[in-house]
Amino acid sequence: MNKKVLLIILLAAYSGLSQEASEMIDRQGSINFFSYTSVENIKAKNNQVFSNINAVTGEIAVSILMRAFVFEKALMEEHFNESYIESDLYPRAKFEGEILDFNPSMTGRETKKIRGVFTLHGREKEIEFKAAVEKKKNKYIVSGDLELTVKDYDIKIPPILSPNIAETITADFNFEYVPYEN
Amino acid sequence: MKINQLYILGVFALIFGGMQGQESLLSKLEKEQEIPSYEVLETFKGTYLSIGHSVETQKKGILEVSSMNRFWNKPIETSQSFVADKWNARVGLSYAFTDRFTFGAGYGTGYKSVDAYAKYRLFIQQNNGRKSPLSVTLLQTAVHRDKSKYDGGGPLDFSEKIAFTTQVLIARKITPNFSLQIAPTYIYRGEESLIPNESLNRYAVGFGGRYRIGGHVSVVSEYYYVFNEVDFMETYGPFSLGVNWELSDLLLQFKLTNARHFTEDKFIAKTANNFNTRDGNFHFGFHATYVIHFKKR
Repeated sequence: MNKKVLLIILLAAYSGLSQEASEMIDRQGSINFFSYTSVENIKAKNNQVFSNINAVTGEIAVSILMRAFVFEKALMEEHFNESYIESDLYPRAKFEGEILDFNPSMTGRETKKIRGVFTLHGREKEIEFKAAVEKKKNKYIVSGDLELTVKDYDIKIPPILSPNIAETITADFNFEYVPYEN
Repeated sequence: MKINQLYILGVFALIFGGMQGQESLLSKLEKEQEIPSYEVLETFKGTYLSIGHSVETQKKGILEVSSMNRFWNKPIETSQSFVADKWNARVGLSYAFTDRFTFGAGYGTGYKSVDAYAKYRLFIQQNNGRKSPLSVTLLQTAVHRDKSKYDGGGPLDFSEKIAFTTQVLIARKITPNFSLQIAPTYIYRGEESLIPNESLNRYAVGFGGRYRIGGHVSVVSEYYYVFNEVDFMETYGPFSLGVNWELSDLLLQFKLTNARHFTEDKFIAKTANNFNTRDGNFHFGFHATYVIHFKKR
């Protein structure tokens, strides 16, 4: 009887540990976004994006600091933070979702759908997009691109400037996950 | 009994262990990715608050081209002028050599004034932590005016044509929408040596604020109090109430004011009319500032 109890305790401890071990993180993920219009092209990059996945369940999360986006023109960066995204009030964008039909024993490269809730400018929106999921030794690489509609996130563009900013912004992303250290 | 207790403990451990593992991925990320302390952006929309300088400078490699205009009427009922009787203007260029240091120069239509200024950001407010709760910018200006003696006795000496202003601009972005500025000011005006017993030095303090009413539009106001006004004429503290409207690379500033001059020494120390809506006192101001990026990142 005692042994049985011991087994349960061990199992309990292990269940916690095993979930921990299946989680992987990238602290230098990159996200770039583009807005192309006939008036002006806007590009921004961010190489400090945090993301993690659960390599058993396929759950995925992303945390993006808005101030870490770097623009070609300094003034664009100011306007992005101050007039559009309001990064004082909403310092980060977040994504929480899962890789659909994730196969934990996968090898090589597969195209998967990712579905989840994206929070930008304090507004939530369910999104779904395709991504390439690749297993390389003990690394997972997830990359792809998606389109975001500016209107969905209540980002206000004055009518006089609407020719300068695209209605849909294209964003590409690249994450390389490694196991949490320790 | 003992075994049962152990059993319960085991179940608890199982639940607890499971819970630990169930901490959401996102909350883990947010815990780890702290929001760093950043330099506050856009305490004011422009490098000029309304009539005077703000703590702001442009980022390295940016050239600012500005056109400043004031319009007003002569206090004569019979004026037949279209829109306005009088117009005063200054065109200016300024270049940001670094993120903190800007040099600017301008030409004004009043007395063919040529002015230059250097602006240095000493401290930049940080958005969290106590590292720097305020922005502090130092401003030094110099002006040369092509003026003649009051009694028509030929041009002034060089030393009488020049004036200097030194300002310590101190500002804080109190909320994302609301910023305040205080500007202790020292002014030297060589021209005042024409008046017997008049001091060439003036001391003043400026107060300014902006309230953002939309992503791109803010309401601004500015007032300067002069501690030792000149004795030989009546002067009033310059006041301004205006709207700043930012459109991509263009900043438009509209204002109602009693100040008709653009350089600090003149409008702070020698504004000769009070702020009201009477003809001759009421001035409409319009500044347009265009920004050109010479350095792309």
